[in-house]
Amino acid sequence: MPTFKDFNLPDLGEGLTEGEILTWLVGVGDTVTLNQPIVEVETAKAAVEIPSPYAGLVTKLHHDAGTTVDVGSPIITYDVDPDGVAESTGGGEQTPAIQGGDLVPSEPGIVGSPTPKADSEEKIAVLVGSGPKRGKLTRRARVSAVAPEPPVVTQADRPQPARVSAAAVGARAKQLAGGLHVLAKPPVRKLARELGVDLRVIGGTGPDGTVTRSDVHAAAGASTAPPPPRLAPAPDFDPATREQRIPIKGVRKMTAAAMVQSAFTAPHVTEWVTVDMTASMDLVDRLKSHADFEGVRVSPLLLVARALLLAIQQHPMINSAWDEETQEIVVKGYVNLGIAAATPRGLIVPNIKDAGRLTMPQLAAELDSLVAVARDGKTTPADMARGTITITNVGVFGVDAGTPILNPGESAILCFGAVRDTPWVHQGEIAIRKVTQLALSFDHRIVDGQLGSEFLAAVAGMLSDPWQLVSWT
Amino acid sequence: MPTHPTSTMTLGKALNEGLRKAMENDPKVLIMGEDVGRLGGVFRVTDGLQKDFGEDRVIDTPLAESGIIGTAIGLAIRGFRPVCEIQFDGFVFPAFDQIVSQVARLHYRSAGNVKVPITIRIPYGGGIGAVEHHSESPEAYFAHAAGLKVVTCSNAVDAYSMIQQAIACDDPVIFFEPKRRYWDKAEVDTTASADPLWSANVVREGITATLITYGPSVRTCVEAAAAAEVDGHDLEVIDLRALSPIDWDAVFASVGKTEHAIVVSEAPVFASLAGEIAARISEKCFYSLEAPVLRVGGYSTPYPTSRIEEDFLPDLDRILDAVDRSLAY
Repeated sequence: MPTFKDFNLPDLGEGLTEGEILTWLVGVGDTVTLNQPIVEVETAKAAVEIPSPYAGLVTKLHHDAGTTVDVGSPIITYDVDPDGVAESTGGGEQTPAIQGGDLVPSEPGIVGSPTPKADSEEKIAVLVGSGPKRGKLTRRARVSAVAPEPPVVTQADRPQPARVSAAAVGARAKQLAGGLHVLAKPPVRKLARELGVDLRVIGGTGPDGTVTRSDVHAAAGASTAPPPPRLAPAPDFDPATREQRIPIKGVRKMTAAAMVQSAFTAPHVTEWVTVDMTASMDLVDRLKSHADFEGVRVSPLLLVARALLLAIQQHPMINSAWDEETQEIVVKGYVNLGIAAATPRGLIVPNIKDAGRLTMPQLAAELDSLVAVARDGKTTPADMARGTITITNVGVFGVDAGTPILNPGESAILCFGAVRDTPWVHQGEIAIRKVTQLALSFDHRIVDGQLGSEFLAAVAGMLSDPWQLVSWT
Repeated sequence: MPTHPTSTMTLGKALNEGLRKAMENDPKVLIMGEDVGRLGGVFRVTDGLQKDFGEDRVIDTPLAESGIIGTAIGLAIRGFRPVCEIQFDGFVFPAFDQIVSQVARLHYRSAGNVKVPITIRIPYGGGIGAVEHHSESPEAYFAHAAGLKVVTCSNAVDAYSMIQQAIACDDPVIFFEPKRRYWDKAEVDTTASADPLWSANVVREGITATLITYGPSVRTCVEAAAAAEVDGHDLEVIDLRALSPIDWDAVFASVGKTEHAIVVSEAPVFASLAGEIAARISEKCFYSLEAPVLRVGGYSTPYPTSRIEEDFLPDLDRILDAVDRSLAY
């Protein structure tokens, strides 16, 4: 059976689009052998003889000599099986001739069209190469987290790989909208991550507001080892007496008066309890990444405050005051939660009004702003008035606990010490646990030992087993 | 010329229109190169220009790159603004001596008395299934030579304006054209005012990490950023446009914001522009970085055969893997 084959004008040198047929070296009816020269073609670069790609009988020459032909269009048709029976007389017609200007590459790297096609969906005919590759638009499926490349630091130093959550991206967007860029060198960033400190909410004291290592330690507070000792300002000693005399005034004078009044008016009793905070510290870590706590600092102090507020609900009498004038005990149905804050001006105790009604995120935000306002020295007298109970967080200074003196007009104050890695009996075995001490001072005129003990035990219980927080929420 | 100031055109056509505009505006502008005249260039970038401006202004040269640049130097010294086409990236090396030893230095050597306002157009980069010498990214060689400006466009809008700005520049400019993006279309307003030639563009704003890239990889990075949205990542993409000098302010501002930087290009990473960019970011953004600056690019091999070139070129997966690595620190 006859088999017709077209031969298209190939690109005879890179980048050519057309060639002129100079001379046909064969004619219709000739039998040609493989690689026999069949035509001489002149291109922009040279005149070349084209060898025959087939052996067979020439049935058609598509163009006369002198014609310029587009690369890729048929020039000659063969019957490569001349002993067979022709199906039709139109040799080569079963392979439609490709018209110039609408060429389709027959082979990579060979043919092209005069004008490049632009639509990426369709095949782009080019002079060189197989045409631009589309590439992929979707990524391959991923494993959940990608580990960093083999460590160049020791494995212990390496942070856990973490995906950035959508919530974190949202928090970051808010922060950036405020024009706030955090500046901290990478080792400090690493330290902050390890200590659970959010660089975005602590102010930097380094050059250009850079967050320094000591800023991070200071912000990490009770949950960490004490910061490297800072040099206290050198006292201004009189050279003659080698003493310095500081006038008693301002915050110092007020503090002194309040402490004396309190200490010599209310008979103080202080009780201690040591608490395994490990579960609470885990909860703090989890809350940090929770969307509800975007942009606010979550600290162990937040849980202590929450536990205190819930314990007050169980023991309302602890949240009361002794009114000497009217000879009444005033039990408060609201909690204005004082937080003792060390400021450049001295100790002040601003309070969060009606803290018992706040949700956890609201409480966290209030704690944040209360401390920030206090550190800026912008606490107003109203902020400090009408407190009902107080927490003093001495753990930030790296000490364990103390015997706090009541804020005048209140009947209890809770002292929160440093959280330390401590050998502790846990589930019958010695384990390293996060342990802290709580000390509660109370006014023994109002609060008996039983009430004070039960209250302190309730706070401690919720901190050692923070699931108890849920039952009263 | 387009009848309307705004029309949809390919990057290759935009270059053609930009060249035409430059030739209309300044009779000293000449085009020279292999097959640029009668053929109109293998990518049709100079299509129709010889017909309209004549064989004296659009010159088909012999296949001798050193001769093309050497001739252009003489023409430039005599007041012309030659625009030389090197047909393919891998063909530039015969002209390398003329470019780095003469073109780059004449202004300096003559104490500022001799200007050589030559523009050297080089289609570069891979991804079109071509043979050896047709897919390389040699930009670092030229960025390394003081005295040369190096720029690259990534889209038709920039192509139209940047080629005119490069020709108008009195310094020699190496103009790299992303050949696999020649067919990418965009709306080009031929009457719009252009960004300064030496400025980078933020082509996609984001906050999670910055992809710093140029030329053919810009589109890849934008597509990677789109794919990363499902991961909750909001990536910023910077198109550098100018490779020498680099618009550092744009880079530093972005990295200061995102705190993560990944440099993406097709060139082999070792001793590359990506390396210089990473080093400079580490130096100037040290206090902002949450992770080391990562580089995604070609491998330290000659450009591979086209059958495996997609394994050589940075793609979505390699870019996004780098994003994951950066964010995991």
